[in-house]
Amino acid sequence: MEQSSAFRVAAFVALTAGMVLLSFGISGQIFKFGSMVLSSMTASSEISSPTESVPAGSSGMPAAGDPTPSVGGETPVAVGSTPSVGGGTLAAVGSKPLADGPTPAGSAMVLKSAATLRMAGLAPLANGLAALVSLILMAFVLRRWIATQADLRGRFLKTFFLYEALSMAVVVVLFPFFWMLCTSFKPSGQELIINEANPFDIVPNEPTTANFLKVLKWDKPAGAPVEDEIERKKNFSTYFLNSLLVASTAAFLVTLFSSMAGYVFAKKELPYKGYLFALLMGTMMIPGMMYMVPQFFMISKMGLCGSKLAMFLPHLASVFGVFMLKQFMETIPGSLLEAARIDGASEWQLFSIIIVPLSMPILLTLFLLTFLFHWSNFLWQLIVTDFANPLSITLPVGLALFRGQYTSDLGLIMSASCFSIVPIAVLFMIAQRYFIEGMTQGAVKE
Amino acid sequence: MQNTRETTNSLLFLAPFLILFAIFLIFPIGYSFYLSFFGSPRDFSLANLEYVGFANYSNLLGFSVGPTGISLNDPAFWWSLGVTLLYGGLSIPLGITASLALALLLHNKLAGKDFFRSAFFLPNVLDMLVVGVIWGLIYAPKYGALAQVMNFFLGPDQFFNTTGLLANPYTAMPAVVLAMVLKGAGFGMILFLAALQNIPDAVYEAADIDGATHWEQFWHITLPLLRPILFFMVVTGIIGSLNAFTEIYAMTAGGPQVVVAGETLGSTSVVGYYLYKQFEAGRYGYAAAISYVLLALTLMLTFLQQRLFAGKKN
Repeated sequence: MEQSSAFRVAAFVALTAGMVLLSFGISGQIFKFGSMVLSSMTASSEISSPTESVPAGSSGMPAAGDPTPSVGGETPVAVGSTPSVGGGTLAAVGSKPLADGPTPAGSAMVLKSAATLRMAGLAPLANGLAALVSLILMAFVLRRWIATQADLRGRFLKTFFLYEALSMAVVVVLFPFFWMLCTSFKPSGQELIINEANPFDIVPNEPTTANFLKVLKWDKPAGAPVEDEIERKKNFSTYFLNSLLVASTAAFLVTLFSSMAGYVFAKKELPYKGYLFALLMGTMMIPGMMYMVPQFFMISKMGLCGSKLAMFLPHLASVFGVFMLKQFMETIPGSLLEAARIDGASEWQLFSIIIVPLSMPILLTLFLLTFLFHWSNFLWQLIVTDFANPLSITLPVGLALFRGQYTSDLGLIMSASCFSIVPIAVLFMIAQRYFIEGMTQGAVKE
Repeated sequence: MQNTRETTNSLLFLAPFLILFAIFLIFPIGYSFYLSFFGSPRDFSLANLEYVGFANYSNLLGFSVGPTGISLNDPAFWWSLGVTLLYGGLSIPLGITASLALALLLHNKLAGKDFFRSAFFLPNVLDMLVVGVIWGLIYAPKYGALAQVMNFFLGPDQFFNTTGLLANPYTAMPAVVLAMVLKGAGFGMILFLAALQNIPDAVYEAADIDGATHWEQFWHITLPLLRPILFFMVVTGIIGSLNAFTEIYAMTAGGPQVVVAGETLGSTSVVGYYLYKQFEAGRYGYAAAISYVLLALTLMLTFLQQRLFAGKKN
């Protein structure tokens, strides 16, 4: 494939232009997002100190029969409990419903302009950083281009193109989640306009944490009547904790039971073991949908509907987990077990001292995968949820419910989505090797 | 003596799993069959089920030949099977193409390969419902991201802004498929990447000497060697289409409605969603019958695939 040098130079210029556009666009949005998060947090935490003095002044407001609940009474409590982020942001929205009092209205305006102003102040920095990134990249590419011998430049162009294509693909694949993060900071009513001048500039210029507070119901009063107390608990911090509890309990139990069963199938004697394992494998063929009706009947006849146990009980027997652990445990040398047996180790000791520590990476993988499964097990959790008892609602079900109420309030739905997406994304970044290997392992072996 | 002790120990270790397995994975197969002979209680109570014999199956699968031709007892069920076929028929080839393309792009000596791998894989681990909700909002008319970008280029009076992809019966399913392909592409990519790395360079070198073009090499060397992965992706794709529910629930709720031969049907109502709808309406016995038909279908498909695959091997 011989190309003329003129063609190569033209291709290089075009690719460089594309790279500059891409890198400036991406890094510009990322830096702008960073400055937005930074400014909405620092701005509101600065405000939080003046608002702490507000309660005294505004304590008369509820008595005035104000239907909009005063946040003044609640602010110190929440500030005390979560000083770093929650307190500050709470104060930020806390001041919003108080628009009728002179002082809070003033602080609301101060707040809004504080976050926005700070962000506007950071804008040159963000843009400058983005420009710097693009410039550095450009200089780097140019240097490499000059240093490359003429006959190797075709290869260089190919690699250059690959990077750009891959970056574009990353943008396409991850765009929904970036849009979610950005929209969750947009003030209500403004999420309709991305940015009239530039639809690709999706980071809001006037960030607010109001959506998160509303989703957490931290903008409601504390000393409300008992009926409202349940209504107040019907928020995403409750759902989040429920999901966390359900998913981690299930993941722990599944890992424990599967490792015990995997140990038997890999290392121990049992009559008809092979047939039993074949039966296990056979059930993997059955579509999960088929279990919905009978399992629901069983759970309701046990009287468990609406309980947290019901959310995961039918999925505790994980054939996939047994299969995965058996595969791994077969690689543990039997001589280790023999030696320990001669030393007088009991059966349980063999399992807990030799098998479990040696299988730790795969156990962790199974734990994470099971956690993930129960974190997203929407259909089953939807079926067994008792909607009269909001304290048992898990994240996906809560989001489905929430979306029904606020169909077109993008900011709210997006901030609610963050509760499910962000923790898992962070977990993935920390333990990505386990996720990727675990999820793709079964496939490669077949 | 030694043997019985070993057996006891094995059973003790196996007991927690085996009991749960028997109760929640084996028993329901028979129980579901039993339930499929019962009717639907009018009051949603599980206690008042009435024995109806084979009525559920005949209502589901039966048809009658009238003067105007064959009329199905439950056209919505057959329609949902067709929609499922469409969903699988779109998402499996597209998913394979997308993940293979990503794998081929990444199968080069590149710095930062791990970053790209992780970035593409990330959507796989995220909650299906949430991803569906976000994509639903992207496609939404007026305030959705796609509508706004299109407004910039085409002005406000265009399809994406007035109707939205999910509200048109012809574009709703492709839109769902696109979202799911982008969510799942990273998974197949990892599989293809691992398989590509296992192909020895010598094979390509030999082909180069024989004068094969890159395209011929891809077609005659790479693809055949990737066949196990392709097979796996087709199998999981079929199971995924038969189990599809959450993405439909989150994005279209089975709609938009279309009228076909006098019947109002949901243009994205896949069989999993139809099953859920029957269940939600309290037609438990009917839902059990549907799941049994689904099971039979899956087993048939698996059998067929194995026959096809075994035939190709020899």
